[in-house]
Parts: sequence; structure tokens; C-alpha cells
Amino acid sequence: MTPPASTTAFLATAPSRRSLRDIVAGGAAPLLLLPAVLFVTILLIVPTLEMMVASVQTQDVTGTIGPPLTARHFVRLVDVPLYRDVLVATLRIAIVTAFLSALVGFPVAMVIARGHPVAARCVNVIIVMPLVVSIVVRAYGWQLILANGPNGVLNVIGSWLGLGRVSVRLLYSETAVVIGSLHVFLAMMVLPLASSLARIPRRLEEAAATLGASSLRIFWKVILPLSLPGLSVGLTLVFTLTASSFVLPVILGGNKSQMIGQLLEQQATAVFDWPFSAAIAIVMVSMIFGVNGLSLWFIKRQLSAGSIGVGP
Amino acid sequence: MSADERMKGPWAVAAYAATGLAMLFILAPILVTLALSVSDSVFVTFPPKGFTLAWYGKVLSDQNFLGSLTTSLQIATAATGITVVLGVPAAYAIVRHPFPGSGICQEIVLSPLIFPVLITGLVLVKFFAGWGMQNAFPNMILAHALVTLPYVVRTVTASLLLADRSLDEAAMTLGYNPLLTFFRVTIPQIAPGLAAGALFAFMVSLDNFPISMWLIDARTVPVPIMLFQSMSRLFDPSIAAMSSVMIVIGTLAVLCLEKLVGLRRAMTM
Repeated sequence: MTPPASTTAFLATAPSRRSLRDIVAGGAAPLLLLPAVLFVTILLIVPTLEMMVASVQTQDVTGTIGPPLTARHFVRLVDVPLYRDVLVATLRIAIVTAFLSALVGFPVAMVIARGHPVAARCVNVIIVMPLVVSIVVRAYGWQLILANGPNGVLNVIGSWLGLGRVSVRLLYSETAVVIGSLHVFLAMMVLPLASSLARIPRRLEEAAATLGASSLRIFWKVILPLSLPGLSVGLTLVFTLTASSFVLPVILGGNKSQMIGQLLEQQATAVFDWPFSAAIAIVMVSMIFGVNGLSLWFIKRQLSAGSIGVGP
Repeated sequence: MSADERMKGPWAVAAYAATGLAMLFILAPILVTLALSVSDSVFVTFPPKGFTLAWYGKVLSDQNFLGSLTTSLQIATAATGITVVLGVPAAYAIVRHPFPGSGICQEIVLSPLIFPVLITGLVLVKFFAGWGMQNAFPNMILAHALVTLPYVVRTVTASLLLADRSLDEAAMTLGYNPLLTFFRVTIPQIAPGLAAGALFAFMVSLDNFPISMWLIDARTVPVPIMLFQSMSRLFDPSIAAMSSVMIVIGTLAVLCLEKLVGLRRAMTM
């Protein structure tokens, strides 16, 4: 029996009406994205491209930037000992901070992923809360703690312990910058690491334990390899954020330990050397994208090797 | 997580101990600042002496601080507004109506997040100078909107992925037009995520230093910059009190986040 004509007509038009709506919605979709994309393109992408162009141009005495094309701003950055020291110090501080954050962050992430729920919740709040406290405020706190005079909190505690009036002089040093950076960016290590650890199926460890592996061996052979995606995300984040930070080296490092961010700020606001500033900025960005790319490549390789268990 | 999946044994004790020390490390500068803000002494000295709220009184009647706080709150509110207006439709298009090229669009919209903020600031200062935009206040709003946009796009995208799409389809079948469906059906579903994203954007703007640094003028000085300038000038506990006011605002924001979506989710979205 054939259905009445009106029903077939309805059946025929219903899907086409749906798809028409989808086409309209689909056609409108780029329009919904357009304002945001334009906003970022105009304010960030295009000016960044202009900056890249400026970095290989020459600035004359009147401040006009134009040809001839040159790579001398980049050469200057690695050739002048002062600037090279800044680059090396930046890398050193960022690498040390990243490794320390892994060391300090691992037990913390374990507690979040595997600890008692109450402990996990508390630790989580304590880790996240400082993220919404301005870096300036946190650096100020560290200034009070590390202060070189007899009023610094550490020195006061030192004198209570009988170590003399001024036992440590940490403020305005590279160590102070590392301590401050570790404090500010630790959450960036702990959060991805904790979510990686939470995904490791408990059965794997139980199997390893049943087969006679010691706790240490289980850690090296099971937990550590399986936490690598989170660990590498954490290392990347801490490294890049530390390398590109400005506030912490200014407040805690003083004049002695300069990082690339301070150099950039000086060249741009005090010296007005725009092409050189642009070159510094590009070195910073490429360092960051380089490390990001490397880490992404590493995680992808791990994933495709099938060595990472996803979900229980 | 069941009780037997928790870590146990001597290693667990070690992990808890290490975590305890790490928590002390995290809290130390904040606690020291809070403690010294109520210290009854003319200079910042540790341990705090006595107890007074005089520094809060001084700070909360200080035109300099109040002016900066007002500026910061205005900038954060305006930037968050722009971010929501730009970010929500963008996230909606990305999740619900992907088209060829929407992936690249998503990358572009999220790019301010991976860009070092210091350089974003440098690029912007050059951009504003190039276009003769010399009014610090609107410039700073635009700049903050640029860096906070990814936060809203990310949280709204995550919420949309979790929302039940069939409800939207049901509403459309029952005669709602797409706009009505969006406001009456989609928005209520993603409201917690949207609120969390907006709050995050607000806090990122409020605490921003490396962007504002490039764009300040004499009248437009957000709190972080003002604090930084005061640090080399003031040696009494009033800076600790100003910092504590910011710590309290931040803590309230975190509590709201926890209430809205739960911290773990807020941080991984």
C-alpha cells in the first residue's frame, strides 16, 4: 500500500527542510567566528608579522625603519657578551625551574590523583588559589621572606635558630628568581601531571606488584613512563612561562640577574631600538614555539607508540 | 576513586610529607603578606608586632589605591564583556557548525594564550602608536580583551561539547528559531562554564602586569602596576594591606569557580 500523497510529500520535504536549515546555520557559522578572528588578527597577528619584518630592517638616526635588509640584530644578540649572558641566564633559570617544578610537583600531583579525597581537594585549592593572586603580590611576599637584611623572614628564623643576624642573602639573585618562578608556575606542572597520573589504570601497578616489582621499580617502569604526557606538558609550560616572565626577575632578580624579558623592555622603552627589540621578541617567541613543538612531537610519538593507556 | 585505589605504604607517607612542604612553600609568601598587613609597626618587620587594621584604613582611604582599583575593575569588566560577546558565538560555531577552515580560526582565536604576554604588549603598543590611538584606557581594555578571549572560548567550547545537543534539536523541531533556541536552551546548559570562563577572564585582566606595563599613562594605572611602583617607594605595611585586598578578591574568585564548576574542571577546561 502506498502512503497518501501528502505524507510522501512531507517525508520528502522534511529532510530537505532540515538540511536547508543546516545550510543556513552552516553558512552563518563563519559569520559567528568572524568578529573574534578579525579581532585577534588585527590586534595580534598582523602587528606580529610587521614586527617580524622590522626585525630584519634598519633603523636610521631619525627613527625611520626600512631597508636595507639585515640580520645584524640577531647576530648582535648572540655576539655581544652582555646580551649572550642574558640569553644563557634566561635558559638556565627556565631549565632549572622546570626541573625543580617536576621534582616538587610529582608528589603533589600524586596526592591529587591518588590521595585521600579530602587531602586531594585541599591540595588542589592551595595549588590553584595563588593563580588568581597577582604575580606582583606574590613576588612582594617573596621579597619579604628573602630580604637580605636582618628583617627578612628567613633571616629572622635563622637568628632564632642561632645562625646569626643575617644568615642568607638570597634576594636579588638568580636563586630568588628561580624560587619565585617555581612558586608562581608550580600549578602549571601539577595540574597536567595530576590528570595524567589519574588516568593510569591501577591494575598495571597491581600486576607489577604481583609479579614482584618493588615500589621503586613500579615507579620507574610503570608510573613515570605513563605520566610522561602530563610531565612533558608541565615541563613545557613551566619552561616557557619562566623564560618569558618579566615581573619576577625585575622584583626578585634586581639588576644582577637579567632575563630576556627585561632586556626587551629596556630596548623598547629606554633605547627605542625597535628592530633590535623585534629581534629579541622573535628569539623569545621562537624559543617558546620550538619547545612547544618539541614537546608536542614527543607526546604524539608516545601516543602513536601505544605506550600510553587512555582511561581505565 | 575507591579506598583501595588510594596510595598506601611508606611511599604514600613520603608523598604526603613532600606535599605538605610544598603547600607550605606555596602558602608562605601569601601568609607572610597577610600577617604583616595587620602588623602594628611603622616598617615592615617580621614577626608582626601587635594587631591593627590601621593599614587597611589607610589603604582604603588612599585615593591612589582606590583610583587604581576602580580603573582595574572597570578595565576587567569591559574586557570581560567584549570577550564574552566575541568568544561565545565563536565557540558555538567551532563546536556546533564546524566548516572547512574553522580549525584554523580556532587556532587564531586561541593564539593569544600561547603568545608570551610581554610580547603581545610590545606588539600592541606599536599597533596603537601606529594608528594614533593614544588614549590609555580604551587601549588597555582592547589589550586585555585580546589576552582573555582564549579563556572564554576554551571554557565555552568545553561546555558546549558536554551539553546535550538533542535538546536544541528538539526545541527547533518544536518551532523555536535558532536564535531563540540558543538563548533559551543552549545558554542555560552552558551557563556554569560560561560564568567560569568569564570569571577567569576577569581575574586574568585584574592581575595582568606585562600587558598593562606597556600601555599605562598617568591616569590609567591598574593595581598590579601601582603596587609595583609603590614597592620601591613605600616601606610601611600598607603595601602588604593592598596586596591582602587583592588576595581576598582572588580567593573569593576561586571559591566562586569551585562553586560554579569545580576547580579541577575549571583548570582542565
